[in-house]
Amino acid sequence: MTQLIANGLIAGSLAALIAGGLALVYGVLGVFNLALGQMVLIGGYSTWWFHQVAGWALFPSIVMGISIGALLSWFTFEVFIRPFYKLHRFLPLVTTIALSLILDGMILLLFEQRPRSILSGAKETMHIAGAYVSKEQIIMIVLTMGILFIFAYVLHSTSFGRKIQAVVQHDHAAMSLGIRAPALHRFVFILSGVLASCGGIYMGIDTNLSPTIAFSITIKAYAAIIAGGKGNFWGAVFCAYLIAFSEQFVVGIHWFGAFYVPPGYQNTVALAFIIILLLVKPSGLFSSASRSA
Amino acid sequence: MRKTFLVSLMAIVLTACQTGADSTNNSITIGYIGPLTGDASPYGVDTLNGMLLKASEINAAGGINGKLIEIVTEDGRCTGADAASAAQKLIHVDKVIAIIGGQCSGETLAAAPIAEEAGIIMISPLSSSPDVTDAGDFIFRDYPSDALKTEAMAAYFAEKGYNKVAVITENTDFAVAFRDALKKNLGEDALVFDEVVEPNTKDFRSLVTRLNDVDFDVFFPNGQSAATIGAMLQQVREQGFEQLAVSHDVAQDQSLLQVAPIASEGLQVINVPAVSDDSEFGSKFLEQYGATQAAMAFAAHAYDAMGVLVEAIGTVGTDGIAIRDYLNDLTAYEGVVGAFSFDANGDVVGIPYVLWEVQDGAYVNLRNIDVN
Amino acid sequence: MGFYLLHIISLIAMNLFTVMSYNLVFGKGKILHFGQLAFSIIGIYAFCVPLVRYQWPLWSALLLGCLGVLLVAAFFTWLSLHLEADGFGVMSIAVHLMFLSVVLNWQGVTRGALGIPGIPRLPYMASLESFTLVVVLFSALWMIFLWYVGKGAFGRMLSALSEGQWPAASLGISRSMVHFVAFTISGFGALLSNLTWHSYLRLLSPSDLQFPAMIFYVMIVVAGGAGSFRGCFIATVILVTLKEGLRFLNLAPNLVGPLQLILFGVILFTAVWVRRETVFPKQRVV
Repeated sequence: MTQLIANGLIAGSLAALIAGGLALVYGVLGVFNLALGQMVLIGGYSTWWFHQVAGWALFPSIVMGISIGALLSWFTFEVFIRPFYKLHRFLPLVTTIALSLILDGMILLLFEQRPRSILSGAKETMHIAGAYVSKEQIIMIVLTMGILFIFAYVLHSTSFGRKIQAVVQHDHAAMSLGIRAPALHRFVFILSGVLASCGGIYMGIDTNLSPTIAFSITIKAYAAIIAGGKGNFWGAVFCAYLIAFSEQFVVGIHWFGAFYVPPGYQNTVALAFIIILLLVKPSGLFSSASRSA
Repeated sequence: MRKTFLVSLMAIVLTACQTGADSTNNSITIGYIGPLTGDASPYGVDTLNGMLLKASEINAAGGINGKLIEIVTEDGRCTGADAASAAQKLIHVDKVIAIIGGQCSGETLAAAPIAEEAGIIMISPLSSSPDVTDAGDFIFRDYPSDALKTEAMAAYFAEKGYNKVAVITENTDFAVAFRDALKKNLGEDALVFDEVVEPNTKDFRSLVTRLNDVDFDVFFPNGQSAATIGAMLQQVREQGFEQLAVSHDVAQDQSLLQVAPIASEGLQVINVPAVSDDSEFGSKFLEQYGATQAAMAFAAHAYDAMGVLVEAIGTVGTDGIAIRDYLNDLTAYEGVVGAFSFDANGDVVGIPYVLWEVQDGAYVNLRNIDVN
Repeated sequence: MGFYLLHIISLIAMNLFTVMSYNLVFGKGKILHFGQLAFSIIGIYAFCVPLVRYQWPLWSALLLGCLGVLLVAAFFTWLSLHLEADGFGVMSIAVHLMFLSVVLNWQGVTRGALGIPGIPRLPYMASLESFTLVVVLFSALWMIFLWYVGKGAFGRMLSALSEGQWPAASLGISRSMVHFVAFTISGFGALLSNLTWHSYLRLLSPSDLQFPAMIFYVMIVVAGGAGSFRGCFIATVILVTLKEGLRFLNLAPNLVGPLQLILFGVILFTAVWVRRETVFPKQRVV
């Protein structure tokens, strides 16, 4: 049981990191970014390249991986988002599908269709309260919690956070109060890119990266955001953990002492859970209902 | 916008016409279908290179009865849809004599009816699904059906007294077919833990915790790619399971050793012999194409598929029916994977097996395993 | 060469079934629906499993396939009424992935990842020539049907709904009815594509029913001008030919795949760029 909780924390931290940044993007800009999974991969792969091919030490490689992730998301914002999202907020949904195809092709050309692991050495596992976890996993869990606390502080206790919340509530009203909404949009988008590359780096350290996992990362992150009440940062983080835990418990628990859910349905159960949740509360767990005809 | 489309379209149609007109009588055209993109592309690249190696050797030696071999490559993307288009083009546009492919069983099964209808020989170097057995008269494979390989595995387990096997299977055609065959050969009861996970899963931790409740002798990571097998091995070892791990060809892969360097130590693999990196074939291959993307065994099977095809064409000419009969009557072809022939269904017989073990980060040939 | 041309023509005709009806939902109705493959999966498996594995007669298998499509259409309608537009967009992908995973895991019935080989050719469609003829004929009929549906009262209701739920509701247009009919039509389009395509391949493999196929449809509809009948028809012809035509460029084998992805990405991006004013109705801002 403790192992299941540890597994949930490991998977949940990764998901929360990715979904949290994305929830801000959705809240502030109102757009979906379907190339998210590819951004995760690019962050991880470039770190792998600096560490394993160029032979840099781990820390500077991670810094480079994150910088490349930031550059990529900046480029994405300028080319694939900014010219479109004011025309209609659904347009970036299609342009980022185009971007995801392009990035898929680039990943194949640059990094080849092979699994890549950032750390090639062994991972020491520790036995804590009946659960096996590695040092890297503990660092990751703690780091994610730390980042979330910093977010909480910035969002709720600084003027910058209040600006973000103002833009989330009403773009134009915020602008009339002198908040530079367009600059904020860019900042938030790049921030989500940085968090996504952190996720990719973590994945490359913890297990390995392969080019075809991008799409399922994207879908899971958005399931968390929609279920959490779109644009609600805490809702998304909560649901990311919730999905991760439910996935672990679904396969790990002997239900009613009678049967195991086949692990092939692991993702399906999580998605079905979200759909049911949305049917009960259409606007998500943590948001007020909106009007509809 | 539309204009650019039309221009590029015209260009393509023009090149198409050229390709059609190009085929002269001084060459023999042979097609290739395999996954060159997507998850399975490492297998495609290796088999393609194995085939090209044989072709370049034949051409360097003067070709088949003076005619040079020309190879047309098509990406089957490991899907039936792409393989069908590829087969249509190879047969009706490039007018190939025969096809080496497909690699994924889905590719072979979708291309088979088209090849059958046209009377074109197809030899698959990699498809292992039992369904391929009934794919048609013109469809051969020099890669053993899973049934045969799992027999070797069952023989090895029986000899060692391993009768409790824990299997985690990735939900792809190759891995699922292998698991079904394994189940048949070992018996239902031998699989004390038998779960199928989604393709590309990387997180097996919670599933692995359930191994605590099971008493097993052997852990069998049955994945379609080194990425998943690496993740399985790593997470099983992380949780403190020390049992022997045994797997199939996919686990004989250099990138597995890079992805899971410590966890793969001691892993045993049952695979075909004589194709390690330092064998004669292996060093020839490395010199030409560098390290394999997946495993040398796959390149070797493609090399031999091409070899047996060339022998057939050299003896009976380019007629599909004649080649078919020649392959059916073949007593033994001396290839790098062993001396093999084909049974009435076009399945390969006579491929021997070897037990490999990972020792100090390299695959070491332990011994032969006899089937029958 | 002749056979290959027939093959391409059949491919275009088979894609037209899905694309033209998907154009009704996504292009004309502006419903963010990315779960077209969910129809394909349920429809074709409900048809093939009884036909091939349990030897049902053709017509009853076909009936089951149609029933499957209707159920999925009802499910999508229900979801689309309950969710907000973009939420439905992402959840429709989730529904597709769920169905796919059921098909992959329910091995006793669907044979999972192994797929179902040995699907018979439909009657009158045994040879490639007759296959092409029948498929082209049927897709022409289907398009004529869609043309009238799009031009008629239903098309107007769909357009009205896409421009504004509230005004449409005040005109007495039932959103649930219009959505259900639109989803049903797009579902039957998908069923027709898959019936012909998989009996052509004589193989039903789940690897053919993954999300990238959906991206291709979205690309065609956007490039053709969402909602434009003629545009989507031309875009289908061009893009299907282009996709197959890439085989003739004789690129190095390890470049073909990545370059195709990048090329299609650029095409999709350019298409959106050109049509950025018209793909979705302009939103009013304060």
